[in-house]
Amino acid sequence: MSQPVQHVPLNVDELEVVDGRAYENLEGWVPELASEEDLRTAIEKAFDYRGDITLTFKNGERVEAYVFNRHTGKGLADSYAQYFASNSPDKRKVSYAEIARIEFTGKDRAAGKHWEAWLQKYAEKKAAGEKNIALHPEALD
Amino acid sequence: MAVPISQMWTVATYILKKRMSGEKKFPLVLMLEPLFKCNLACAGCGKVQYPPHILKKQLSPQECFAAVEECGVPMVSLPGGEPLLHPQIVEIVNGLVARKKYIYLCTNALLLKERLHEFTPSKYLTFSVHLDGQREHHDMSVCREGGYDLAVEGIKEAVARGFRVTTNATFFDGTDPNSVRSFFDEVMSMGVEGIVLSPGYSYEKAPDQQHFLGRAKTRRLFRAILSNRKKSWKFNMSPLFLEFLMGKRNYECTAWGSPAYNIFGWQKPCYLLQDGYTDTFQELLDTTDWDNYGTASGNPKCANCMVSCGYEPTAVTAGFGSLSGFFAMAKAAIFNTYEDKGALDLLNNHTTFAAQHDHFVKIDSISPAPQIGKLEETRA
Repeated sequence: MSQPVQHVPLNVDELEVVDGRAYENLEGWVPELASEEDLRTAIEKAFDYRGDITLTFKNGERVEAYVFNRHTGKGLADSYAQYFASNSPDKRKVSYAEIARIEFTGKDRAAGKHWEAWLQKYAEKKAAGEKNIALHPEALD
Repeated sequence: MAVPISQMWTVATYILKKRMSGEKKFPLVLMLEPLFKCNLACAGCGKVQYPPHILKKQLSPQECFAAVEECGVPMVSLPGGEPLLHPQIVEIVNGLVARKKYIYLCTNALLLKERLHEFTPSKYLTFSVHLDGQREHHDMSVCREGGYDLAVEGIKEAVARGFRVTTNATFFDGTDPNSVRSFFDEVMSMGVEGIVLSPGYSYEKAPDQQHFLGRAKTRRLFRAILSNRKKSWKFNMSPLFLEFLMGKRNYECTAWGSPAYNIFGWQKPCYLLQDGYTDTFQELLDTTDWDNYGTASGNPKCANCMVSCGYEPTAVTAGFGSLSGFFAMAKAAIFNTYEDKGALDLLNNHTTFAAQHDHFVKIDSISPAPQIGKLEETRA
Protein backbone atom coordinates (compact mmCIF):
# COMPACT_ATOMS: atom_id res chain seq x y z
CA MET A 1 0.00 0.00 0.00
CA SER A 2 1.36 3.42 -0.87
CA GLN A 3 1.92 5.87 1.93
CA PRO A 4 -0.58 8.72 2.27
CA VAL A 5 0.54 11.64 0.17
CA GLN A 6 0.42 15.20 1.42
CA HIS A 7 -1.06 17.07 -1.53
CA VAL A 8 -0.08 20.69 -1.86
CA PRO A 9 -2.07 23.27 -3.80
CA LEU A 10 0.22 24.90 -6.33
CA ASN A 11 0.27 25.80 -9.99
CA VAL A 12 2.89 23.39 -11.25
CA ASP A 13 3.04 25.09 -14.62
CA GLU A 14 4.54 28.20 -12.99
CA LEU A 15 7.35 26.39 -11.20
CA GLU A 16 10.81 27.59 -12.23
CA VAL A 17 12.88 25.17 -10.21
CA VAL A 18 11.97 22.51 -7.73
CA ASP A 19 14.00 21.73 -4.67
CA GLY A 20 15.47 18.28 -4.38
CA ARG A 21 14.50 16.22 -1.40
CA ALA A 22 16.15 17.33 1.85
CA TYR A 23 19.01 15.02 2.68
CA GLU A 24 18.87 13.25 6.01
CA ASN A 25 22.02 11.72 7.44
CA LEU A 26 20.89 8.38 8.83
CA GLU A 27 24.14 6.41 8.76
CA GLY A 28 24.75 4.98 12.23
CA TRP A 29 21.24 5.85 13.47
CA VAL A 30 19.56 3.43 15.83
CA PRO A 31 15.96 4.56 16.21
CA GLU A 32 14.13 4.06 19.47
CA LEU A 33 11.18 1.79 18.74
CA ALA A 34 8.97 2.69 21.69
CA SER A 35 5.70 2.74 19.77
CA GLU A 36 4.08 1.33 16.65
CA GLU A 37 4.47 4.75 15.04
CA ASP A 38 8.21 4.74 15.81
CA LEU A 39 8.56 1.39 14.08
CA ARG A 40 6.58 2.45 11.03
CA THR A 41 8.60 5.65 10.72
CA ALA A 42 11.90 3.79 11.06
CA ILE A 43 10.96 1.22 8.41
CA GLU A 44 9.86 3.99 6.08
CA LYS A 45 13.27 5.63 6.50
CA ALA A 46 14.97 2.26 6.01
CA PHE A 47 13.02 1.88 2.76
CA ASP A 48 14.35 5.25 1.58
CA TYR A 49 17.90 4.58 2.78
CA ARG A 50 20.54 3.82 0.13
CA GLY A 51 22.49 1.43 2.27
CA ASP A 52 22.16 -1.73 4.31
CA ILE A 53 20.55 -1.82 7.71
CA THR A 54 20.72 -4.46 10.42
CA LEU A 55 17.40 -5.94 11.49
CA THR A 56 17.10 -7.80 14.78
CA PHE A 57 14.02 -10.00 15.02
CA LYS A 58 12.18 -10.86 18.19
CA ASN A 59 13.52 -14.42 18.00
CA GLY A 60 17.03 -13.00 18.28
CA GLU A 61 18.09 -13.44 14.64
CA ARG A 62 20.11 -10.56 13.17
CA VAL A 63 20.19 -9.85 9.44
CA GLU A 64 22.18 -7.30 7.47
CA ALA A 65 19.89 -6.35 4.60
CA TYR A 66 18.78 -3.89 1.99
CA VAL A 67 15.10 -3.05 2.49
CA PHE A 68 13.55 -2.51 -0.94
CA ASN A 69 9.84 -2.66 -0.19
CA ARG A 70 7.29 -2.35 2.54
CA HIS A 71 3.58 -2.88 2.79
CA THR A 72 1.72 -0.99 5.48
CA GLY A 73 -1.41 -2.71 6.66
CA LYS A 74 -3.79 -1.73 9.43
CA GLY A 75 -1.75 -3.35 12.17
CA LEU A 76 1.82 -4.53 12.65
CA ALA A 77 0.89 -8.13 11.94
CA ASP A 78 -0.35 -7.42 8.42
CA SER A 79 2.44 -4.95 7.62
CA TYR A 80 5.67 -6.30 6.23
CA ALA A 81 9.06 -5.30 4.87
CA GLN A 82 10.83 -7.04 1.99
CA TYR A 83 14.59 -7.21 1.83
CA PHE A 84 17.63 -8.81 0.30
CA ALA A 85 20.00 -10.09 2.99
CA SER A 86 23.59 -9.24 2.11
CA ASN A 87 24.56 -12.93 2.18
CA SER A 88 21.61 -14.38 0.27
CA PRO A 89 20.32 -14.20 -3.31
CA ASP A 90 16.66 -14.54 -2.33
CA LYS A 91 14.00 -11.96 -1.49
CA ARG A 92 12.75 -12.27 2.07
CA LYS A 93 9.74 -10.87 3.87
CA VAL A 94 9.30 -10.03 7.56
CA SER A 95 6.25 -8.86 9.45
CA TYR A 96 6.61 -5.57 11.28
CA ALA A 97 5.44 -7.44 14.38
CA GLU A 98 8.61 -9.58 14.33
CA ILE A 99 11.06 -6.66 14.24
CA ALA A 100 12.74 -5.77 17.54
CA ARG A 101 15.53 -3.42 16.48
CA ILE A 102 16.70 -1.50 13.42
CA GLU A 103 20.22 -0.16 13.00
CA PHE A 104 21.38 1.91 10.04
CA THR A 105 24.73 0.13 9.98
CA GLY A 106 25.57 0.18 6.28
CA LYS A 107 27.32 2.97 4.41
CA ASP A 108 24.93 5.56 2.94
CA ARG A 109 25.73 5.19 -0.76
CA ALA A 110 23.92 8.42 -1.71
CA ALA A 111 25.76 10.71 0.70
CA GLY A 112 27.74 13.48 -0.94
CA LYS A 113 27.10 12.28 -4.47
CA HIS A 114 25.48 15.40 -5.82
CA TRP A 115 26.19 17.46 -8.87
CA GLU A 116 27.76 20.44 -7.09
CA ALA A 117 30.18 18.13 -5.25
CA TRP A 118 31.32 16.70 -8.59
CA LEU A 119 31.86 20.18 -10.05
CA GLN A 120 33.90 21.13 -7.02
CA LYS A 121 36.00 17.97 -7.26
CA TYR A 122 36.47 18.49 -10.99
CA ALA A 123 37.66 22.05 -10.45
CA GLU A 124 40.19 20.92 -7.84
CA LYS A 125 41.55 18.14 -10.02
CA LYS A 126 41.71 20.41 -13.06
CA ALA A 127 43.58 23.04 -11.06
CA ALA A 128 46.03 20.34 -9.95
CA GLY A 129 46.74 19.52 -13.60
CA GLU A 130 45.13 16.08 -13.62
CA LYS A 131 44.07 14.48 -16.90
CA ASN A 132 41.24 12.05 -17.61
CA ILE A 133 39.29 13.28 -14.61
CA ALA A 134 36.45 10.98 -13.66
CA LEU A 135 34.37 9.57 -10.87
CA HIS A 136 34.69 5.79 -10.77
CA PRO A 137 32.18 3.22 -9.54
CA GLU A 138 33.00 1.84 -6.14
CA ALA A 139 34.49 -1.64 -6.04
CA LEU A 140 31.88 -4.34 -5.46
CA ASP A 141 34.15 -6.74 -3.58
CA MET B 1 9.68 11.47 -37.48
CA ALA B 2 12.50 8.92 -37.45
CA VAL B 3 10.55 5.91 -36.20
CA PRO B 4 10.23 3.24 -38.96
CA ILE B 5 6.78 2.62 -40.38
CA SER B 6 6.76 -1.04 -39.29
CA GLN B 7 7.31 0.01 -35.70
CA MET B 8 4.63 2.72 -35.91
CA TRP B 9 2.23 0.19 -37.40
CA THR B 10 2.93 -2.28 -34.59
CA VAL B 11 2.33 0.35 -31.93
CA ALA B 12 -0.76 1.77 -33.66
CA THR B 13 -2.44 -1.62 -34.04
CA TYR B 14 -1.53 -2.51 -30.44
CA ILE B 15 -3.21 0.66 -29.16
CA LEU B 16 -6.27 0.18 -31.36
CA LYS B 17 -6.70 -3.41 -30.17
CA LYS B 18 -6.44 -2.31 -26.55
CA ARG B 19 -8.93 0.49 -27.13
CA MET B 20 -11.37 -1.81 -28.91
CA SER B 21 -11.13 -4.37 -26.12
CA GLY B 22 -12.03 -1.66 -23.62
CA GLU B 23 -8.78 -1.78 -21.64
CA LYS B 24 -8.27 1.51 -19.81
CA LYS B 25 -4.76 0.94 -18.50
CA PHE B 26 -2.22 -0.74 -20.74
CA PRO B 27 1.56 -0.36 -21.08
CA LEU B 28 3.42 0.70 -24.20
CA VAL B 29 7.07 0.30 -23.24
CA LEU B 30 8.53 -1.95 -20.57
CA MET B 31 11.47 -0.37 -18.77
CA LEU B 32 13.33 -3.60 -18.17
CA GLU B 33 16.33 -3.06 -15.92
CA PRO B 34 18.39 -6.26 -16.04
CA LEU B 35 20.90 -4.90 -13.51
CA PHE B 36 21.87 -1.72 -11.66
CA LYS B 37 25.64 -2.11 -11.98
CA CYS B 38 27.29 0.52 -14.14
CA ASN B 39 30.74 1.43 -15.40
CA LEU B 40 30.04 5.11 -14.84
CA ALA B 41 29.44 6.90 -11.53
CA CYS B 42 27.31 9.84 -12.60
CA ALA B 43 26.69 12.30 -9.79
CA GLY B 44 23.18 11.94 -8.43
CA CYS B 45 22.28 8.81 -10.38
CA GLY B 46 19.82 6.91 -8.24
CA LYS B 47 20.38 3.63 -10.03
CA VAL B 48 23.95 3.01 -8.98
CA GLN B 49 23.72 4.05 -5.32
CA TYR B 50 22.94 0.59 -3.98
CA PRO B 51 25.06 -1.58 -1.70
CA PRO B 52 27.46 -3.90 -3.56
CA HIS B 53 25.39 -7.05 -2.99
CA ILE B 54 22.46 -5.38 -4.78
CA LEU B 55 24.66 -4.13 -7.62
CA LYS B 56 25.90 -7.70 -8.16
CA LYS B 57 22.39 -9.04 -8.67
CA GLN B 58 20.86 -9.28 -12.12
CA LEU B 59 17.79 -10.60 -13.87
CA SER B 60 18.18 -13.86 -15.77
CA PRO B 61 17.13 -14.01 -19.43
CA GLN B 62 14.13 -16.13 -18.39
CA GLU B 63 13.04 -13.50 -15.85
CA CYS B 64 13.34 -10.83 -18.56
CA PHE B 65 11.25 -12.82 -21.04
CA ALA B 66 8.63 -13.61 -18.40
CA ALA B 67 8.24 -9.92 -17.53
CA VAL B 68 7.88 -8.95 -21.19
CA GLU B 69 5.28 -11.64 -21.84
CA GLU B 70 3.44 -10.86 -18.63
CA CYS B 71 2.76 -7.22 -19.54
CA GLY B 72 2.50 -7.81 -23.29
CA VAL B 73 4.19 -4.61 -24.50
CA PRO B 74 5.24 -4.08 -28.12
CA MET B 75 8.40 -2.17 -27.08
CA VAL B 76 11.08 -2.84 -24.47
CA SER B 77 13.62 -0.37 -23.19
CA LEU B 78 16.70 -1.93 -21.58
CA PRO B 79 18.21 0.67 -19.27
CA GLY B 80 20.16 -0.02 -16.10
CA GLY B 81 22.84 0.27 -14.87
CA GLU B 82 24.76 -0.49 -17.99
CA PRO B 83 23.12 -3.38 -19.88
CA LEU B 84 26.34 -4.25 -21.71
CA LEU B 85 27.82 -5.31 -18.34
CA HIS B 86 25.19 -8.07 -18.09
CA PRO B 87 26.95 -11.32 -19.03
CA GLN B 88 23.82 -12.63 -20.80
CA ILE B 89 22.72 -9.43 -22.50
CA VAL B 90 23.13 -10.95 -25.97
CA GLU B 91 20.84 -13.85 -25.01
CA ILE B 92 18.32 -11.37 -23.60
CA VAL B 93 18.37 -9.25 -26.76
CA ASN B 94 18.14 -12.25 -29.08
CA GLY B 95 15.23 -13.64 -27.09
CA LEU B 96 13.34 -10.36 -27.29
CA VAL B 97 14.03 -10.03 -31.02
CA ALA B 98 12.71 -13.57 -31.50
CA ARG B 99 9.54 -12.39 -29.74
CA LYS B 100 9.35 -9.48 -32.23
CA LYS B 101 9.65 -6.82 -29.56
CA TYR B 102 11.12 -3.46 -30.52
CA ILE B 103 14.09 -3.06 -28.18
CA TYR B 104 15.92 0.08 -27.17
CA LEU B 105 19.16 -1.01 -25.52
CA CYS B 106 20.14 2.09 -23.53
CA THR B 107 23.90 2.21 -23.18
CA ASN B 108 26.60 4.67 -22.27
CA ALA B 109 28.49 2.97 -25.15
CA LEU B 110 31.79 2.71 -23.31
CA LEU B 111 31.80 -0.98 -24.27
CA LEU B 112 29.71 -0.76 -27.43
CA LYS B 113 32.47 -0.87 -29.99
CA GLU B 114 34.14 -3.95 -28.50
CA ARG B 115 30.85 -5.86 -28.03
CA LEU B 116 29.08 -4.99 -31.29
CA HIS B 117 30.24 -8.15 -33.04
CA GLU B 118 28.14 -10.20 -30.61
CA PHE B 119 24.89 -8.62 -31.85
CA THR B 120 23.03 -8.99 -35.12
CA PRO B 121 21.44 -5.99 -36.83
CA SER B 122 17.65 -6.14 -36.80
CA LYS B 123 14.77 -3.75 -37.27
CA TYR B 124 13.79 -4.78 -33.74
CA LEU B 125 17.07 -3.72 -32.12
CA THR B 126 18.13 -0.12 -31.54
CA PHE B 127 21.17 0.98 -29.58
CA SER B 128 20.05 4.06 -27.69
CA VAL B 129 23.30 5.74 -26.77
CA HIS B 130 23.36 8.05 -23.79
CA LEU B 131 24.79 11.37 -24.95
CA ASP B 132 23.80 14.40 -22.90
CA GLY B 133 25.28 17.06 -25.15
CA GLN B 134 28.47 18.20 -26.78
CA ARG B 135 31.75 16.67 -25.63
CA GLU B 136 32.38 18.85 -22.58
CA HIS B 137 28.75 18.82 -21.49
CA HIS B 138 28.47 15.07 -21.83
CA ASP B 139 31.75 14.37 -20.07
CA MET B 140 30.71 16.63 -17.19
CA SER B 141 27.28 15.04 -17.11
CA VAL B 142 28.61 11.49 -16.85
CA CYS B 143 31.53 12.54 -14.66
CA ARG B 144 34.12 11.10 -16.99
CA GLU B 145 36.47 12.89 -19.35
CA GLY B 146 36.73 10.92 -22.56
CA GLY B 147 33.25 9.44 -22.20
CA TYR B 148 31.92 11.33 -25.21
CA ASP B 149 34.69 10.18 -27.51
CA LEU B 150 34.21 6.52 -26.56
CA ALA B 151 30.45 6.80 -27.07
CA VAL B 152 30.89 8.44 -30.47
CA GLU B 153 33.28 5.69 -31.55
CA GLY B 154 30.63 3.17 -30.59
CA ILE B 155 27.91 5.05 -32.44
CA LYS B 156 29.93 5.30 -35.64
CA GLU B 157 30.86 1.63 -35.54
CA ALA B 158 27.25 0.60 -34.90
CA VAL B 159 25.98 2.79 -37.75
CA ALA B 160 28.66 1.40 -40.06
CA ARG B 161 27.61 -2.18 -39.21
CA GLY B 162 23.98 -1.44 -40.07
CA PHE B 163 22.46 -1.22 -36.61
CA ARG B 164 19.66 1.15 -35.73
CA VAL B 165 21.16 3.82 -33.47
CA THR B 166 19.60 6.73 -31.61
CA THR B 167 21.06 9.09 -29.05
CA ASN B 168 19.38 9.65 -25.74
CA ALA B 169 19.84 12.91 -23.82
CA THR B 170 18.54 14.16 -20.50
CA PHE B 171 18.64 17.88 -19.82
CA PHE B 172 18.88 19.39 -16.35
CA ASP B 173 18.80 22.90 -14.95
CA GLY B 174 21.62 24.94 -16.48
CA THR B 175 21.43 23.34 -19.92
CA ASP B 176 22.55 25.71 -22.68
CA PRO B 177 19.97 25.46 -25.51
CA ASN B 178 22.44 26.84 -28.05
CA SER B 179 24.86 24.06 -27.26
CA VAL B 180 22.05 21.51 -27.48
CA ARG B 181 21.17 22.71 -30.98
CA SER B 182 24.82 22.37 -32.04
CA PHE B 183 24.79 18.91 -30.44
CA PHE B 184 21.80 17.94 -32.62
CA ASP B 185 23.84 18.87 -35.70
CA GLU B 186 26.74 16.76 -34.46
CA VAL B 187 24.75 13.61 -33.77
CA MET B 188 22.74 13.77 -36.97
CA SER B 189 26.03 14.01 -38.89
CA MET B 190 27.04 10.69 -37.29
CA GLY B 191 24.25 8.96 -39.18
CA VAL B 192 21.97 8.15 -36.26
CA GLU B 193 18.34 7.36 -36.95
CA GLY B 194 17.08 9.99 -34.54
CA ILE B 195 17.41 11.79 -31.25
CA VAL B 196 15.63 10.98 -28.00
CA LEU B 197 15.45 13.63 -25.31
CA SER B 198 13.81 14.28 -21.99
CA PRO B 199 13.96 16.79 -19.17
CA GLY B 200 15.63 15.46 -16.05
CA TYR B 201 13.90 14.54 -12.86
CA SER B 202 15.15 14.18 -9.31
CA TYR B 203 15.40 10.54 -8.38
CA GLU B 204 13.60 10.33 -5.10
CA LYS B 205 15.91 7.63 -3.85
CA ALA B 206 19.02 9.64 -4.59
CA PRO B 207 18.04 12.49 -2.33
CA ASP B 208 21.31 14.38 -1.99
CA GLN B 209 20.35 16.82 -4.71
CA GLN B 210 19.69 20.54 -4.71
CA HIS B 211 17.22 21.57 -7.35
CA PHE B 212 15.73 20.59 -10.67
CA LEU B 213 13.97 22.14 -13.62
CA GLY B 214 10.42 23.23 -12.87
CA ARG B 215 7.77 23.04 -15.56
CA ALA B 216 7.91 26.72 -16.53
CA LYS B 217 11.67 26.58 -17.02
CA THR B 218 11.44 23.23 -18.82
CA ARG B 219 8.98 24.63 -21.34
CA ARG B 220 11.14 27.70 -22.00
CA LEU B 221 14.19 25.48 -22.44
CA PHE B 222 12.49 23.14 -24.90
CA ARG B 223 10.79 26.01 -26.73
CA ALA B 224 14.27 27.48 -27.26
CA ILE B 225 15.75 24.13 -28.31
CA LEU B 226 12.97 22.76 -30.51
CA SER B 227 11.57 25.87 -32.21
CA ASN B 228 13.07 27.09 -35.48
CA ARG B 229 13.93 23.46 -36.05
CA LYS B 230 16.31 22.28 -38.74
CA LYS B 231 15.00 19.80 -41.29
CA SER B 232 18.07 17.65 -40.74
CA TRP B 233 17.10 16.93 -37.14
CA LYS B 234 15.14 13.70 -36.64
CA PHE B 235 13.55 12.70 -33.39
CA ASN B 236 12.79 9.13 -32.45
CA MET B 237 9.86 10.28 -30.38
CA SER B 238 6.24 11.25 -30.65
CA PRO B 239 6.00 14.72 -32.23
CA LEU B 240 3.12 15.42 -29.87
CA PHE B 241 5.38 14.76 -26.89
CA LEU B 242 7.85 17.30 -28.30
CA GLU B 243 5.00 19.82 -28.55
CA PHE B 244 4.16 19.02 -24.93
CA LEU B 245 7.74 19.82 -23.90
CA MET B 246 7.56 23.10 -25.83
CA GLY B 247 4.44 24.13 -23.94
CA LYS B 248 2.09 23.72 -26.89
CA ARG B 249 0.08 20.88 -25.36
CA ASN B 250 -1.09 19.83 -21.95
CA TYR B 251 -1.06 16.17 -21.07
CA GLU B 252 -1.56 14.18 -17.94
CA CYS B 253 0.88 11.48 -16.91
CA THR B 254 0.25 7.89 -17.99
CA ALA B 255 2.29 6.36 -15.20
CA TRP B 256 1.39 2.78 -16.19
CA GLY B 257 2.45 3.45 -19.81
CA SER B 258 6.13 2.65 -19.14
CA PRO B 259 6.17 0.19 -16.24
CA ALA B 260 9.53 -0.72 -14.73
CA TYR B 261 10.69 -4.20 -13.81
CA ASN B 262 13.94 -5.04 -12.06
CA ILE B 263 15.41 -7.37 -9.42
CA PHE B 264 12.98 -5.98 -6.84
CA GLY B 265 9.86 -6.66 -8.94
CA TRP B 266 7.33 -4.35 -10.64
CA GLN B 267 8.01 -0.80 -9.49
CA LYS B 268 5.19 1.38 -8.14
CA PRO B 269 4.08 3.65 -9.67
CA CYS B 270 6.57 4.38 -12.47
CA TYR B 271 10.16 4.26 -13.65
CA LEU B 272 11.15 7.31 -11.60
CA LEU B 273 9.33 7.04 -8.31
CA GLN B 274 9.93 4.06 -6.08
CA ASP B 275 6.93 3.82 -3.82
CA GLY B 276 7.17 0.05 -3.56
CA TYR B 277 7.13 -3.16 -5.59
CA THR B 278 4.72 -5.88 -6.58
CA ASP B 279 5.35 -9.44 -7.69
CA THR B 280 3.11 -9.32 -10.77
CA PHE B 281 2.15 -6.74 -13.38
CA GLN B 282 -1.54 -7.26 -12.69
CA GLU B 283 -0.90 -6.59 -9.00
CA LEU B 284 0.88 -3.39 -10.01
CA LEU B 285 -2.18 -2.27 -11.98
CA ASP B 286 -4.63 -3.34 -9.29
CA THR B 287 -2.93 -2.13 -6.12
CA THR B 288 -1.32 1.16 -7.17
CA ASP B 289 -3.35 4.19 -6.16
CA TRP B 290 -2.96 5.87 -9.55
CA ASP B 291 -5.01 8.91 -8.46
CA ASN B 292 -2.11 9.78 -6.15
CA TYR B 293 0.22 10.46 -9.07
CA GLY B 294 0.57 12.94 -11.92
CA THR B 295 0.35 16.69 -11.73
CA ALA B 296 -3.44 16.71 -11.40
CA SER B 297 -3.12 14.75 -8.16
CA GLY B 298 -1.25 17.57 -6.46
CA ASN B 299 1.42 15.10 -5.40
CA PRO B 300 4.56 17.21 -4.91
CA LYS B 301 6.71 14.30 -6.12
CA CYS B 302 5.10 14.74 -9.54
CA ALA B 303 5.08 18.56 -9.60
CA ASN B 304 8.14 19.05 -11.79
CA CYS B 305 7.88 15.93 -13.90
CA MET B 306 7.54 16.18 -17.68
CA VAL B 307 9.59 13.07 -18.32
CA SER B 308 9.09 10.88 -21.36
CA CYS B 309 8.35 7.68 -19.41
CA GLY B 310 5.12 9.22 -18.11
CA TYR B 311 4.09 11.70 -20.77
CA GLU B 312 5.22 10.11 -24.02
CA PRO B 313 2.77 7.20 -23.59
CA THR B 314 0.05 9.84 -23.24
CA ALA B 315 1.20 11.54 -26.43
CA VAL B 316 1.52 8.27 -28.36
CA THR B 317 -1.89 7.07 -27.23
CA ALA B 318 -3.38 10.45 -28.17
CA GLY B 319 -1.78 10.24 -31.61
CA PHE B 320 -2.93 6.72 -32.41
CA GLY B 321 -6.09 6.66 -30.33
CA SER B 322 -8.37 8.91 -32.40
CA LEU B 323 -8.64 10.48 -35.84
CA SER B 324 -8.14 13.99 -34.48
CA GLY B 325 -5.08 12.80 -32.57
CA PHE B 326 -3.71 11.14 -35.69
CA PHE B 327 -4.16 14.31 -37.75
CA ALA B 328 -2.49 16.37 -35.00
CA MET B 329 0.42 13.93 -35.00
CA ALA B 330 0.69 13.97 -38.79
CA LYS B 331 0.59 17.77 -38.81
CA ALA B 332 3.29 17.93 -36.12
CA ALA B 333 5.44 15.51 -38.12
CA ILE B 334 5.09 17.36 -41.42
CA PHE B 335 5.01 21.01 -40.34
CA ASN B 336 7.84 20.65 -37.87
CA THR B 337 9.85 23.84 -38.24
CA TYR B 338 8.02 25.80 -35.51
CA GLU B 339 9.28 29.24 -36.46
CA ASP B 340 9.25 31.35 -33.33
CA LYS B 341 10.90 34.75 -32.89
CA GLY B 342 10.42 34.57 -29.14
CA ALA B 343 12.38 31.32 -29.06
CA LEU B 344 15.24 33.03 -30.89
CA ASP B 345 15.22 35.70 -28.21
CA LEU B 346 15.41 32.98 -25.58
CA LEU B 347 18.47 31.55 -27.31
CA ASN B 348 20.23 34.88 -27.61
CA ASN B 349 19.50 35.91 -24.05
CA HIS B 350 20.52 32.62 -22.52
CA THR B 351 23.23 32.60 -19.91
CA THR B 352 25.62 29.91 -20.96
CA PHE B 353 26.35 26.81 -18.97
CA ALA B 354 29.95 27.86 -18.57
CA ALA B 355 28.98 31.30 -17.27
CA GLN B 356 26.51 29.82 -14.82
CA HIS B 357 29.12 27.47 -13.43
CA ASP B 358 32.13 29.76 -13.70
CA HIS B 359 32.49 29.86 -9.92
CA PHE B 360 33.04 26.12 -9.94
CA VAL B 361 34.88 25.32 -13.09
CA LYS B 362 36.17 27.01 -16.19
CA ILE B 363 35.44 24.98 -19.29
CA ASP B 364 37.35 26.52 -22.14
CA SER B 365 36.10 24.65 -25.13
CA ILE B 366 32.33 24.79 -24.83
CA SER B 367 30.92 26.06 -28.08
CA PRO B 368 29.97 29.72 -27.86
CA ALA B 369 26.32 30.63 -28.27
CA PRO B 370 25.52 31.20 -31.93
CA GLN B 371 24.53 34.75 -32.79
CA ILE B 372 21.19 35.84 -34.18
CA GLY B 373 22.41 35.90 -37.79
CA LYS B 374 23.35 32.24 -37.62
CA LEU B 375 20.05 31.37 -36.06
CA GLU B 376 18.17 33.26 -38.71
CA GLU B 377 19.79 30.89 -41.20
CA THR B 378 18.28 27.96 -39.38
CA ARG B 379 14.81 29.30 -40.04
CA ALA B 380 15.25 29.13 -43.81
